[in-house]
Amino acid sequence: MSIIMCCPPVSKVTRQAFVLQRALASCRATPSLQHPACASVNERQYRTMPTHGIGRWRHLLPKEAPKKKKDKLQMKEILAETDTAYGSLNVTVSGYDMTLVEHYSQYIHNLCNRLGIKVADSYILPTKTTEVMLMQEQGTKMFVDAVLKTHERVVQLSSLEAAACPVLLDVLLQNQPEGVELSVSEHTEAHFQARFKGRPELEGLIAQLTY
Amino acid sequence: MSAPGRRMASVTLSHFRSCFSRTAVGSAGFRHLSSTSVCRVTLQTKSGTEKPSSPWTLMAAVCLQRLPVISADCSPIEQQFRQMMQRMELEKSLLSDHELRLLEDSERISRKQADDYDSDEEENRGDQEIVLAQDLEDSWEQKLQKFQPGLRVNVCVKSSRHSGEGVRARSVPADAPLSCLADADEDLTSLERCLADPLVLVAEQQVGGDKLWLLPQTRWQEGETLRQTAERALASLPAAGLKATFLGNAPCGVYKYKLPKAARTESAVGTKVFFFKAILSDGGAPAAPSASLLWAKKSELQRYLKPAYMMKVERFVLAL
Repeated sequence: MSIIMCCPPVSKVTRQAFVLQRALASCRATPSLQHPACASVNERQYRTMPTHGIGRWRHLLPKEAPKKKKDKLQMKEILAETDTAYGSLNVTVSGYDMTLVEHYSQYIHNLCNRLGIKVADSYILPTKTTEVMLMQEQGTKMFVDAVLKTHERVVQLSSLEAAACPVLLDVLLQNQPEGVELSVSEHTEAHFQARFKGRPELEGLIAQLTY
Repeated sequence: MSAPGRRMASVTLSHFRSCFSRTAVGSAGFRHLSSTSVCRVTLQTKSGTEKPSSPWTLMAAVCLQRLPVISADCSPIEQQFRQMMQRMELEKSLLSDHELRLLEDSERISRKQADDYDSDEEENRGDQEIVLAQDLEDSWEQKLQKFQPGLRVNVCVKSSRHSGEGVRARSVPADAPLSCLADADEDLTSLERCLADPLVLVAEQQVGGDKLWLLPQTRWQEGETLRQTAERALASLPAAGLKATFLGNAPCGVYKYKLPKAARTESAVGTKVFFFKAILSDGGAPAAPSASLLWAKKSELQRYLKPAYMMKVERFVLAL
């Protein structure tokens, strides 16, 4: 970079090289004056090429604040319904077969993107395991016959136009795969809080404080 | 609303919580649909001023759909692709716990039958030696043999003893004469036809002197929303026990009909029909098939509906 700046345009190649070497010397002597960024970058600089560093652009961006370790999950704003649009809606897809459930929820998300329906959030609720126990033929002991896992995926829509609603629902219902349950409900604060794990020791301490 | 000077009706949309599941096929072959809707309708009328009434008659019609019960058969390309994907997945997959256990058991048996077998060297597996994985597989195989899947196409047995009514049976009795068997797919009034396609209800109604085939409709009355008119249209059909869930308060289509010039007057130019979509929900005993109600596929609608009407209807009837 600095080489290009201080080297004047010359036609002959040899003279260019000579001039470059001289510029090099001056560069090395006072790196901090000409280009402060050069000194701070601890990497090998190939200074023989005049196009060295031609593609650099990161130094032009504004400085970003260092990223914090983990932000607390903020609740997205729950919109209220208006005359022509529904408020925040939760489209829940649940079933036993994970591939079907995931593919269907992906399909819903992509369909909403295509139809211009804003998707606020799409998250996964924890899997629920159900053990199917059968009674043994001889004896009263129950033994485990099967283990079924219920998977749930939620696509949260921020605002659904009333005119688009029957269209979207019809398409979703016609494309619903077997063994998958679809449910549309309003999104409330309770839904959001249910996603968090309970903290019994914290609640105990708070109870002690208030007591 | 199309006509000017209508009373201003501001409708707050209903809160709805609908649950659609396709996990179990009920006895009538419906998809389980349950919805709880709280409909809040507030009408505010402008007081005082005299409004000119519009020359258009407003009607609301319901497009009642029975969703497909089973998945459609795959086309040849889809079948080939599915087989190829299954082969690829099988080749790339790892052995499951059960398969590993099978291998271990067969290995252990071969070691037991070798001459220099020393049972003290064997690790004690406990109940794995009592119930081998192969035994489990055999018992599962037996259970599978006992399972009878339902028929993909319902066979409708028409018997001459019951005049006109069909006795719908899942399994065909052995002594039924072959001439009495009819494929339920061809019976247009049956709800269990064409389980893989969505069906639309078409009714034959009296419209201004002629009997026409169209989606069930009725006239709008003052003081009710168009959706309520559509619900009334559904309830007024001769078939009892058709429970439906309406999808939303907004209409999905409109059809404008202008009366012929001779019949046109100042106050009656024509009718506008607004269509509302509804899904047939579970429940309702199979009603006696009446001649004026049909369940038609989208391709069959053309036979019954008038061309101009059909053009507007086919825009919103989805046959995916």
